[in-house]
Amino acid sequence: MKGSNLLAVLLLIAVLVTACAPKTAVVPTEPAVVEQPTVVEKPAATEVPVEASWTFPTENVTLEIWWHEYGPFTAYMEEMIPKYMELHPNITVNVTKVSSADLNQKLSAAIATGTGPDILDQDASYYVQYYEKGVLEPLNLDVWGAKSYGDVIENYLPGGADAGIFDGKIYSLPYQGNSMSLWISNKLFVAAGLDPVKDAPKTWEDMINICPKLKIVDGNVTKQKAFDFPYHSARWQLQQFQPLTEQFGGELLSADGKTVALNSPAAVSALTLWKRVTDACGDPQTTMNTGSNPNQDFIDGRLAMWITGPWATPQITASEFVGDQFTVVGLPQVDPTNPRTMVYGWEWAVNADRPEINKQVAWDFIKFVLASPEEWLAKAGFVQPVKGLLETETAKTFPFLSVHLKDVETATWYIRSGKVNEISLAVGAAIEAVVYDNVNPQTALDAAQAEAENALK
Amino acid sequence: MSQKLSITQRINFPHSFKLTAPRQQMLFGYLILLPTLVIIFVFRFYPMLQAFYISMTDYDLIKSPEFVGLSNFIDLLKDPLFLNSAQVSLTYVFFSVVPTWIISMGLALLFNRHIWFKNLFRSAVFMPVIMPSVVMALVWTFMYHQQGVVNIILGWLQISPIPWLRSSSTALWAVILIGIWRASPYFMVIFLAGLQAIPSDFLDAAQIDGANSWQSFLYVKLPLLKPTTLLVIIMSIITAMKVFAVPLIMTNGGPANSTRVLPLFIYQTAFEFFDMGRASAMSIFLFAAVMIITVFQIRLFSAGEDE
Repeated sequence: MKGSNLLAVLLLIAVLVTACAPKTAVVPTEPAVVEQPTVVEKPAATEVPVEASWTFPTENVTLEIWWHEYGPFTAYMEEMIPKYMELHPNITVNVTKVSSADLNQKLSAAIATGTGPDILDQDASYYVQYYEKGVLEPLNLDVWGAKSYGDVIENYLPGGADAGIFDGKIYSLPYQGNSMSLWISNKLFVAAGLDPVKDAPKTWEDMINICPKLKIVDGNVTKQKAFDFPYHSARWQLQQFQPLTEQFGGELLSADGKTVALNSPAAVSALTLWKRVTDACGDPQTTMNTGSNPNQDFIDGRLAMWITGPWATPQITASEFVGDQFTVVGLPQVDPTNPRTMVYGWEWAVNADRPEINKQVAWDFIKFVLASPEEWLAKAGFVQPVKGLLETETAKTFPFLSVHLKDVETATWYIRSGKVNEISLAVGAAIEAVVYDNVNPQTALDAAQAEAENALK
Repeated sequence: MSQKLSITQRINFPHSFKLTAPRQQMLFGYLILLPTLVIIFVFRFYPMLQAFYISMTDYDLIKSPEFVGLSNFIDLLKDPLFLNSAQVSLTYVFFSVVPTWIISMGLALLFNRHIWFKNLFRSAVFMPVIMPSVVMALVWTFMYHQQGVVNIILGWLQISPIPWLRSSSTALWAVILIGIWRASPYFMVIFLAGLQAIPSDFLDAAQIDGANSWQSFLYVKLPLLKPTTLLVIIMSIITAMKVFAVPLIMTNGGPANSTRVLPLFIYQTAFEFFDMGRASAMSIFLFAAVMIITVFQIRLFSAGEDE
């Protein structure tokens, strides 16, 4: 091979391998970075009252809003926006819809280049990374017509607004806060001679005891699972591993978000129980669940019990096999006298790197769209964790809403960390190692702990 | 020639820059190439240079990049996840490319012969290449399912279902199998072109000298296929090093990181963990690895030529 050929081949390699490099050609503009302490605190009970002094602007303002694509949610938002523009003819709202899988990447890139929207929609667990980088504008109390953040929080169920509070201020507010409760397929329970209400498991031991009646295995093939944990997504796995660990008295992440405890005795007990429940009740080999259809096994009648949120109600009710033949009970517990559950959700926030007038109108828009939790429930199927929802007419017809809201009351929010993706992947890998490869839970979680510590370092 | 010179002479150079005719011709050639070179530089080499720079920074997309020297590279060498991914990638490359060379060469030899319905079979074999990676990955995910086609066929042979994608001991092999299935027809076409370029005189002469089919292959075809083979080896290694869509869709790197190949880990580090500096440093490692392997291959073949 002569020199020119060698050069040609090397150039070819360089060009081909470039495709593997992250696309970093965009040079960011200087973002409005504010040095912020990362300690997360709830607002003090007494705060200095703020005089409401805001009047709605008369000049023309264009708001950019991004949200994650989900049919009923999009339909409701597209109904609300014209109403807002009719109320305020000088305001134009431009919408960009992004798939939930791509939202974090696209928002980060847009914010970096100064092209981010005025109003952000994001999974609540991600907001901490935006907050730490000074991207979020705190709730404008004048616009909200509130005297203090405590006044706003008063409207929420205990802990319902926690995900958006940093250093005593509100930076985002939830339009959905989902408990993760246990769904039971009535048909499969009745076919097994069980009563979906009386025989519903209250503890994990109840669950293990009831599973042999519901799990159907034909030779080497599992035809019907009694219960299964999720295996289609590491984020879903963390959603269910977190309350399980807390039920054993542990905590995966410290309050300041700087220390992980993935291999604590409580976490090891949780993973040991996870494996026992899976062996007795489930079979991950058979799952047809995917990121876009996480409830598929339950919907198709291959799974008698499944943990999911109230947002799944329209999808499950519309399914042919389950329809309205389901029961929802509280998340099974290690100790029912000390229940621990988990809540996660999506929230609205405002981009700090926008003109002042846009930020004010953006908070006004958020106030407008969040004003009717009953409509959110009826039209989008989303549960806002606010007080009084249960007493509304829609709530009375929404299946098992009281169960969902009761689980919210005993819940902690899905862990908030700028490294939540690394932590969930580490936990997911540990779960897979234990369930699929029979690795010792302590060993698997030690590896996960090392990975998470490395990420947080 | 005189006509060509007259074209270049239309460029009105100042007297002080008067060039000879051959130099004017050369300059004209470069001018024609310039737009292409600019495009290649802007869209290929500038991002590469940018990646080199980013690899020496702490950059999370939102804050401005902060120069950290070589610390990303040093950290990577101590990072068990990176080392695991590098090992998974090397395993994938070795166990996918070697069978691919053998199978693609075998298919090329087969389709270079006179067989019935040759074009039909060629088209059928080539199908995996034109199938989009995403579609292919989804189809294979269903095929590998506990009640999928693969396990049904194993059941006919009285073999218990294998948890192809749900065990860290089988998942990588399942992904490798798809890599071989997809790459072999592509490289078959390259080998086939090489075989058809061999003058029949050489083969006729070998036959007259009493060479059988195996000897013709070993002593005539294989040596003459050397440039083609080098191309196939380099291209197949680069392709295997870059495998991404199939493990992303089928396993997302699991179970327990057993299929987390380096490009997938680079993607996760960049766009899920938002650590662009670290991801760029990994890309540089990948670039260096491909470069070293390729130079080694070229040297190996050059040494053979010299002998």
